[in-house]
Amino acid sequence: MNEHVAGEPLVKYRNIGKRFGATEVLSDINFDIYPGEKVAMIGPSGSGKTTLARMLMTLEKPSKGTIEVGGELLWHRNVNGRLMEANASHLRKVRGQIGMVFQHFNLFPHMTILRNIMEAQVHVLGRTKQEAKEQAVKLLEKVGLADKCNAYPAQLSGGQQQRVAMARALVMKPKIMLFDEVTSALDPELVGEVLEVIREIAEEEEMAMLLITHEMAFARDIADRVVFMAEGQIIEQGPPKQIFNQPKHQRTMNFLSRFSAQSQSV
Amino acid sequence: MVSNIAIFNSLLKGLAVTLQVLGYSVILALGLSFIFGFLSLSKWKIAKIASHLYIEIFRGTSLLVQLFWLYFSLPILGIQLPAMLVGVLGLGLNYGAYGAVVVKTSIQAVPKGQFEASVALNMSPFRRMRSVILPQAFVIMLPTFSNLTIELLKGTSLVSLVTLSDLTFQAMALRSATMETVKIFTILLILYFIVAYPITLAFRWLEKKLSVGRG
Ligand SMILES: Nc1ncnc2c1ncn2[C@@H]1O[C@H](COP(=O)(O)OP(=O)(O)O)[C@@H](O)[C@H]1O
Ligand SMILES: [Mg+2]
Repeated sequence: MNEHVAGEPLVKYRNIGKRFGATEVLSDINFDIYPGEKVAMIGPSGSGKTTLARMLMTLEKPSKGTIEVGGELLWHRNVNGRLMEANASHLRKVRGQIGMVFQHFNLFPHMTILRNIMEAQVHVLGRTKQEAKEQAVKLLEKVGLADKCNAYPAQLSGGQQQRVAMARALVMKPKIMLFDEVTSALDPELVGEVLEVIREIAEEEEMAMLLITHEMAFARDIADRVVFMAEGQIIEQGPPKQIFNQPKHQRTMNFLSRFSAQSQSV
Repeated sequence: MVSNIAIFNSLLKGLAVTLQVLGYSVILALGLSFIFGFLSLSKWKIAKIASHLYIEIFRGTSLLVQLFWLYFSLPILGIQLPAMLVGVLGLGLNYGAYGAVVVKTSIQAVPKGQFEASVALNMSPFRRMRSVILPQAFVIMLPTFSNLTIELLKGTSLVSLVTLSDLTFQAMALRSATMETVKIFTILLILYFIVAYPITLAFRWLEKKLSVGRG
């Protein structure tokens, strides 16, 4: 399938289900992500993509099933062969391997750009301020915003804010980074600059990526594997060429045709 | 005949007491606001109930009754507190209850995405609060804290009813002695304003300083 699918998966979803009250949002998901693999996830809105990512980021608790990251259970601990609910310190330990970029950036508005990127380095990774600053500047250069160190988030455009948010997540060196529709809150003319940075990250960084997106052309371009979700299930997955050119399922075809019709009408 | 200087001196003595009561009870109220504000947000059921009881009891009964109760009823139970302590306790407990609600709702008013970003960066609960949530909640609290402090200042005049010789107490005493009602109450008015206005300005300054870069 691609050069990454070798050895053990980095992330394993096993029989994952999620319900909010009476509504079942995800049912029996089994899903792997390999180290360094770039996975694009597509599907209609409401199909459970965000929920799937948020469970990995520990922002949403699975109703059933298990998630493993780097060979360790995320939401559980194995105590004498029995699965116990993980405590806060276990969650913290495993969560360190995961990073996330949000649709609405979620930068800290009361901190300068530099401090946004330094804060967790200093207080979570224990880096010195000097070290944290060097790393922050390096990443700001990478996302093309080195001149904005002392600006506040509100003084930046949406596209710039999202690039800062990516630098803030990257600097923590996660093994997997989640991108949840990171361009869909942006004005159309700002989407390109953000996609460009993601493309660079995907090409240069070793880490795995799960990219939830409606940018089909982009997904086809950078992904090793594309996953199509609908109604809380993974309908099909495979190399981008196969999913986009020869989808096996009627649902995938319908979804993709709606998309190409849309992009042609624009 | 009481001279103007004597009137003024008496009022200044009262002002000193008022400022003292104000200072101590603001500190107490602030401490209680944060303690019970945090408790009301805790996962711990007992803590929630304790803070709920505290808030509802002290908001639901009048400050005057609370002061009277502390000053006149506690001695029956064998506890005699000095008037100053009663004033500070009464004001602190009463305004702390209002402040606790402000702390709670301000923390809740910080957008959820801020919490989520701090989790995604793997910050500890303490660090999330210290670096991300509180600085933003604090700015939300300030305007209401400013109002509450002014309210508390006005509330200090009630301590005269538990025999503390604050500004209002002195003014009342002078009025019976001299009958110079207009003069005394005009000075009283001005003195309260001289205390209140800098408080308002200080809060505004703080708010402006802490909102840097935003909006
Ligand atoms: N906190 C929540 N409470 C209740 N329902 C939710 C919650 N979060 C998501 N949902 C529901 O779960 C379903 C899947 O949502 P989501 O994971 O956001 O899908 P997607 O990201 O694919 O659009 C939707 O029907 C949504 O309304
Ligand atoms: Mg979504």
